[in-house]
Amino acid sequence: MTQMQNAQSVALQLEKVRDKLPLLYERDDILLTMIQQRGDVERVSSRNMRLPLQIRPGGKAGLANMDGGDLGRGSGTVYDVAQVTPIFFRHAVEITKLVEYASNSPEKAIENTAKREVKNAMAQFRAFLDKVMQTNGNGVLGTIGAIATTGLPSGVAAQFTMAKPPGAQLFYYNQTVQVYDPTLTTNRGSANVLLVDPFNSLLQVDSLPTGTSVNDVIVHDGLTGAQPTSLFGILYHQTNATTGTWLNLNRATYPVELATPAVNGNNSAITPGAVRLAINKVRKSLGSNQVSKLIAYTALEQEHQWEQLGVTISQIIKEGAGGRASDLDLLFTGEKTMAGVPIKSSINANQTRVDFLDLSHWGRAVMQDIDFYDVGGQTVFPIYGTSGGLSAAYIFYFVTGFQVWNESPRSGSYINNLAIPTGY
Amino acid sequence: MNALPHIRVTRETYETPAGISERLLAAGGTNLYGEANFRVVWGGSRLTWMGGRWTDRDESGNVIRETIETRRVPKYLPVERWHIERWMPAESYGSPEQWEAQTTEVEDGIRILALGPYPARGEYEHCFTLNGANGEFLPLSPAACDWIVRAVAWAKRQPRREQGGAIAAREARRNRDWNRDADDMLDDAVPAFHGAQFVGCVG
Repeated sequence: MTQMQNAQSVALQLEKVRDKLPLLYERDDILLTMIQQRGDVERVSSRNMRLPLQIRPGGKAGLANMDGGDLGRGSGTVYDVAQVTPIFFRHAVEITKLVEYASNSPEKAIENTAKREVKNAMAQFRAFLDKVMQTNGNGVLGTIGAIATTGLPSGVAAQFTMAKPPGAQLFYYNQTVQVYDPTLTTNRGSANVLLVDPFNSLLQVDSLPTGTSVNDVIVHDGLTGAQPTSLFGILYHQTNATTGTWLNLNRATYPVELATPAVNGNNSAITPGAVRLAINKVRKSLGSNQVSKLIAYTALEQEHQWEQLGVTISQIIKEGAGGRASDLDLLFTGEKTMAGVPIKSSINANQTRVDFLDLSHWGRAVMQDIDFYDVGGQTVFPIYGTSGGLSAAYIFYFVTGFQVWNESPRSGSYINNLAIPTGY
Repeated sequence: MNALPHIRVTRETYETPAGISERLLAAGGTNLYGEANFRVVWGGSRLTWMGGRWTDRDESGNVIRETIETRRVPKYLPVERWHIERWMPAESYGSPEQWEAQTTEVEDGIRILALGPYPARGEYEHCFTLNGANGEFLPLSPAACDWIVRAVAWAKRQPRREQGGAIAAREARRNRDWNRDADDMLDDAVPAFHGAQFVGCVG
């Protein structure tokens, strides 16, 4: 009688949780999920998804002399096409047999190990994608502000002090990262993260790629070549830059139409005036009543700073009462607002910005929903040792292929260069 | 022929009942000018200056004109709600110089203060909107007024240092909630031994 192999059993468990993956992925405080829930999802092939944009109005209006006057010539609406191509991400999870054997019930352990690792891996994959979603489309997770190579623990090759924002917030332990020069032209090599200290913006790595210098940037694993392309995140879509490209369009061609209105915080604390100004820019651009779908997406630091201003009180009712004032919740939604715009804060958001987003204009071009990597129905794969024989471990992957688009950059606004409050 | 003219209401305006204003004054106290710290305003009645380039659109969203000017427009949206405001001192807005630097916009060579003049006597800012759990309209009834007064009184008692702790507690609670939900989902999908009963057998 053939004995059932562990890998077969684990595959069975993973298949059973397969339909739960999207549920595990969704969480309303994750920016990607908010886009998924409020924006569009378009199923696409490997060809570019095309987004027709009505960029400039047409026609020529003016006073006319109907007593034989020249009525002049006309013009037409200017259209252009933004394009977006999905990119793929993977998250590999590897489990050794020893993990399973660390229980008094091997079969039960197999199931528990699979479940636990699916949960942990999904949480980590979500967190990774959400972190990448904060970037400007090139996968840059941080910039090296200083490098130390002495006085470090054994096994640590270098310690980077990361420039803030975002500091070390977008990294996680044991992540493989790559160092690029500041122009994103030269890939200096890769390293594994051994320590992440977001409070002090420190990052320790197990190797220091040759040539690594201050002002170099660190990108996530998997990117190759010069000017790599990653997820088009907040900093990609919400910018008033007039150079570079946006969804295959040249920003210089449409310097006003593709620029998101911005308010410079000038390294000062957030003020009601700055918030009002940012919201008003959207109102003026879209019509004075078209801000009902806005959310104020920001970091916990700015959320706290806004509360310190003492403008709003609903969060105190909701969060600070410790249940003692729950009766008050019956009347108020308890939703925190910034000048009436609901606040969505994230630990991963840029600490110096508040982004006002109308997510109804955002969407995802999806080629592959999040799922196990599947080869002929098999989702768990053996690991091979150096001898060519099997290793006492197995591996499975989460994969997803998508890209994020925004059909109306002027439907949002942002405040940048805000001071980070003390204590963060 | 029916020649009656059609009247289109573009914005309703209401005054806050005096009784409610007095109750909020008693609950929230006064600022250094002797004015109420908290007040209730109707969205359609509360106007503010907004200057800059305006893009006006027709009902279909088509651009019909662009103009550079300062307009008096409703400060809060939606306009058909009661909003509770809190007075903010002038220093909340930075110095007049900072205000001018930050809010001055230049459009076609025209300098314009996007938020109007500096609020030298402070300004009332949006605190929360009186609406239901799904955003629906709630009338400014005596019961609603009671809730508002209690909220204001509650807010006045809260030390601000606790608010940072509240944010941290919320984040921790979100993580716990997700972990619990994930465990529930996975337990539901993959019960141990596929739901069959078992006992552990050591050694």
